[in-house]
Amino acid sequence: MEMKFSGQFEVSPPPEKAFDLLSDPQKFAPLLPTFDSLEMKDANTAVVKVSVGIGKIRGTATTQMTLKEKTAPKHATYVGTGKVMGGAYTMISSYDLEPKGSGTLVKWQGEVQLVGKILSLAGGGLRGYAEQQIQSVVTSLQQAMSPEYQKEAAARKAAQAEKKSSGWMSGLMKKLRKHEESAPAAGATADEAVDAGVLLAGYTGPAMTAADATAVVSEPLHSFARNGDFSAAVTAHQGDKWVHASLSRKEDGRLVRGRGLFVDDYKVAGMLHMGLVRSPYGHARIVRIDTSKAEALPGVVCTLTGKEVAAVANPYMQIGPGEAQNIKDYPMAVDKAIYQGEPVVAVVAENPRIAADAAQLVEVEYEPLPAVTDWQTALEDKSILHPGLGTNHHWHGVYEYGDLDKAFAEAATVIKIGQLDFHRFASTPLETNAVVATWTPFGGVEFFCNNSFPAIVIQMIAPSLNLSIDQIRCKTMDVGGSFGNKIGNYPYMALAALASRKAGGRPVKWVETRTEHMQAGGHGSERAYLDTEVAVDKEGVITAIRAKHIDDCGAYPRYEPLGCVIWSQVLPACYKLRNIRIDFNQVVTNKGPSSPNRGYSRLQQLWFMERVIDICAHELGIPADEMRLRNYIRDFPYTTPNGCVYDSGNYPLLLEKAKELIGWDEWKQKQAAARAEGRWIGIGIGTTLDSGTNNFGQARIVNPYLPFSGNSEVATIKLDLDGTVVVMLGSTPSGQGHETTTAQVVADELGIRPDMVEVRTGFDTTFNSHGGHSGSYASQFAVTGLSAAHGACQKLKKEMKKLAAFALEANEDDLEFGIGQQGPEVRVKGTDRSINYWGLSAMVNINTAGQPPELADVTLNIRHVYRPPFKIPDTDKKFGNLTLTYASQLHIAVVEIDTRTYVPQILAYAAIDDCGSVINPKIVAGQVHGATAHGIGAAMMEAYIYDKEANLLTSTFTDYTPITVMNMPDLAYGDIETPSPFSYNGAKGMGEGGGAPLHTICAAIQDALFDKGVVVHNTFNPPSDIYRLLKNPNRSGFVKVERRAA
Amino acid sequence: MPDAINKVTIDVTVNGRKFRRQVEPRMLLVEFIREELGLTGTHIGCDTSYCGACTVQLDGAPVKSCTMFAVQADGCEVLTVEGLEKDGQLHPLQKSFSEHHGLQCGFCTPGMLMASHALLTDNPHPDRHAIKKAIAGNVCRCTGYQNIIKAVEAVAAGAKE
Repeated sequence: MEMKFSGQFEVSPPPEKAFDLLSDPQKFAPLLPTFDSLEMKDANTAVVKVSVGIGKIRGTATTQMTLKEKTAPKHATYVGTGKVMGGAYTMISSYDLEPKGSGTLVKWQGEVQLVGKILSLAGGGLRGYAEQQIQSVVTSLQQAMSPEYQKEAAARKAAQAEKKSSGWMSGLMKKLRKHEESAPAAGATADEAVDAGVLLAGYTGPAMTAADATAVVSEPLHSFARNGDFSAAVTAHQGDKWVHASLSRKEDGRLVRGRGLFVDDYKVAGMLHMGLVRSPYGHARIVRIDTSKAEALPGVVCTLTGKEVAAVANPYMQIGPGEAQNIKDYPMAVDKAIYQGEPVVAVVAENPRIAADAAQLVEVEYEPLPAVTDWQTALEDKSILHPGLGTNHHWHGVYEYGDLDKAFAEAATVIKIGQLDFHRFASTPLETNAVVATWTPFGGVEFFCNNSFPAIVIQMIAPSLNLSIDQIRCKTMDVGGSFGNKIGNYPYMALAALASRKAGGRPVKWVETRTEHMQAGGHGSERAYLDTEVAVDKEGVITAIRAKHIDDCGAYPRYEPLGCVIWSQVLPACYKLRNIRIDFNQVVTNKGPSSPNRGYSRLQQLWFMERVIDICAHELGIPADEMRLRNYIRDFPYTTPNGCVYDSGNYPLLLEKAKELIGWDEWKQKQAAARAEGRWIGIGIGTTLDSGTNNFGQARIVNPYLPFSGNSEVATIKLDLDGTVVVMLGSTPSGQGHETTTAQVVADELGIRPDMVEVRTGFDTTFNSHGGHSGSYASQFAVTGLSAAHGACQKLKKEMKKLAAFALEANEDDLEFGIGQQGPEVRVKGTDRSINYWGLSAMVNINTAGQPPELADVTLNIRHVYRPPFKIPDTDKKFGNLTLTYASQLHIAVVEIDTRTYVPQILAYAAIDDCGSVINPKIVAGQVHGATAHGIGAAMMEAYIYDKEANLLTSTFTDYTPITVMNMPDLAYGDIETPSPFSYNGAKGMGEGGGAPLHTICAAIQDALFDKGVVVHNTFNPPSDIYRLLKNPNRSGFVKVERRAA
Repeated sequence: MPDAINKVTIDVTVNGRKFRRQVEPRMLLVEFIREELGLTGTHIGCDTSYCGACTVQLDGAPVKSCTMFAVQADGCEVLTVEGLEKDGQLHPLQKSFSEHHGLQCGFCTPGMLMASHALLTDNPHPDRHAIKKAIAGNVCRCTGYQNIIKAVEAVAAGAKE
């Protein structure tokens, strides 16, 4: 197609001067709009680069500009040729100059020829675009030829040069030096000191004199780019492959500015605040509630009691079998409270302070009932928590594999171990549970929340509130840590929704206080291990284990009894024994309800197995490293006795690397020397697994009637109207960097850069990017989330190829993806024929006429559901593959126990990770660091401790003492990669970590004190407990070794 | 409890800008910053001054704004995380936290930044132990602290050059 333009303009210089500028490509080219750079091929020909494009789809276009005709000072003609999206163009422009007064009249003509189908289709739009471009050339020419403009340009250039030298960094450094020289402001005036302080504070504007500023923003509007910081990180990366790059995160830009959007940061007009009155008793009947004084307080809108809730809502679905289905779990206590901190009355007020005042005015009369605070009392069933269940014994099942009798009969040694205990703790995310709920005029509820498994939660809440799922909008944005704990906050979502309904549909915000979180925000389950017997052959290889395990899940089962099967994902841990019998039980007690907690249910089993290994090793006199080498699984994929398939791994190599990293031999020598001096130093090893991507079919092992199986995760990907690649996920990241890793994967698939991919933050039911299993839990995103994104990319590429093949008149097989001069594009291999994403999107969304019917099914808006290839487990035999991938870690710690204070101190710590193929090494290392801190904290400092009346004694951070930097050793970190054969990318989920520090520190303490007769039997080892162990050494009664005649 | 709470007028300079507001005497400084001024980068994590998510600087010293009343800041200068960026340029500490992956969920990050910023203002060349002490009152549940220390060390090393 061809386009013609013409016009005229006047300039002040005479024709000679005007011609001088017009006829010199070096002077003329920079006047082109979006001029980038220029290279002279000869005196008359310039190769000019201009940046082109719309929105994010930007690139540079190269035009060859030749001065074809030149008649001074009257006439000049340029011929330009170049490539644009989907085709090529030729542009001829000529200028005729005539004197007019003291100046010149310039008459110009332009002719543009375009070649290529897509350009023809988009012709209408291009004419406007071309006219605009030409007009800006003309304006530039006019300006360039006027003396006033020249002056202005010179001033602008000078100003820019000055700005460069007074940038923030150099300013800071100057001030820092000044600060140093004159510290503490001895030689400087007070003003200067203030000035220095202000500069360090990042504020150098003029001193404010206004007494009452109304806005917090005082800076002028700076130019901005979406993902500006992320683009800088991408640009800094060497190479064009993004998976496996240690890229800084896209999320960081908003978070380091304090501009993340956490639930409590969110405000809407008319928003109310909910406060809760909670039971001070662990177990008590509610005799009387009087809310009248609270309701009379100015600013209180309404109150809500358990009876009101029960009148309109249904109890939550129960997962447990049989009588467990009769447990009545409402979001608030109805007739009795069964744990300290259970909500009893909600108060809704205009601000949180009034809500707190009003909560204190609510009168509740209780009749205390006997509290059940341990599994022994629970099993006595003298005080029953749930009348519908009729017992406190919530679940029982036997997991038996192999031939136990034969293995024990043939054993060279049988080792019997006393009761081991896994204590109660949780990851206590720094952001507590929170929600804003609005009962909308359309009859549904909108939640802005920080739940980390929203897909299952909306399936729990909808039937409870008599809604259909489509009536619930649930969204998350930034989440301040979850570690599984936030899966359990849905009762509060429902309460806030009912409060909003009672308040006439005004939005209701609820933010948990820290003490509320500690009492009721979700605990990791306790577990007791009884009657443990281990069969060992004469080589020190464990052949069989039998034991009885009892979980204490607190007051309400909620996500339980899933923990009664989830542990069996790692039934034999890293060891090759084939004969195992675990009699598994779960009880309810008057403690805070449990929730999944980092390493959920598996770390309890892994700690048990590691304790068994170390206790056996010490009793048999086999070094701890040697004992592991004799027992490790070595061939992969490995099918465990209960049908789980360990995809890949190399545990001996992990051990070797960890020994290198910590300096094993050197520490062994130091340990021997220290012992000779009477010091107590131990070296401990912990090998662990992080099983990821659940087969929800395992739920049927705890209750065969449950309708779940397999797993699903969703990603949607589209080219937006301007061609921007937009990805939406079903996950709820809380620091794992999903926006970044997804952008890395999509960038590789499309041959573009991660900062050209928009990944939306958080989960939103309106994204239509979720399945019934969507969320962030159970170490799965690298497999489920990225497989969904990858699958969506494949479908999108298919559609893009179909469009491009038509537009470029090429075969689909001849097309490739990449970045061209106009940004992301599809091109014919080995040619310069291409179409960019804007062009592709235009064919579907903007310029849609003139296309053949074969393209009618193309939407450029793809939804892909990833479903791992699982089967339903055999529920009778409790046999089947329960998880898809098995990441592994091995930690080694050197611990010294102070001989006077009994305080254990970590002297050295090493962690080696294997999560298969790594997507972003920086993020993986960060996850290992974090999981290690949780484990060390739990092993040495953190515990939920209840008294006999079911009062939580550690209900503030001051009592619970989450690990700080002062208690954290410097970590030596390393990794190996054994790619998973079961994920498309070889990756394994790895965020949970598997609790290795618990195994490792317990092993190290035992190693330090074994010759004092101490066997570590509890995950929690504060100085007071170590003292007790040393005063009353337990080994002789705790471990019995029976050697059999050969 | 009185029916109506008498409000008190306070003048506080926040990130270089002066504010006059009437507040309840019991309003915490962190509530003033978040609710009155809408600066939500300062977070509340524990209510008992253990976690430091609410750390801001008061006349240059790091303080836990959940354990101070707004009226106690009358006549003072407050610096919050929002005051670190200048002319669209992140403060070197903000850049360094990102480069060294010193944040995951980002909830503790504003407090960590304000505590370490106060350290570097007093002592541009801290050693590792001094860095640990400076953030000893700040809890991070995600990073295990390793990369936070690294991020602050990198800025301190940069200041030495």
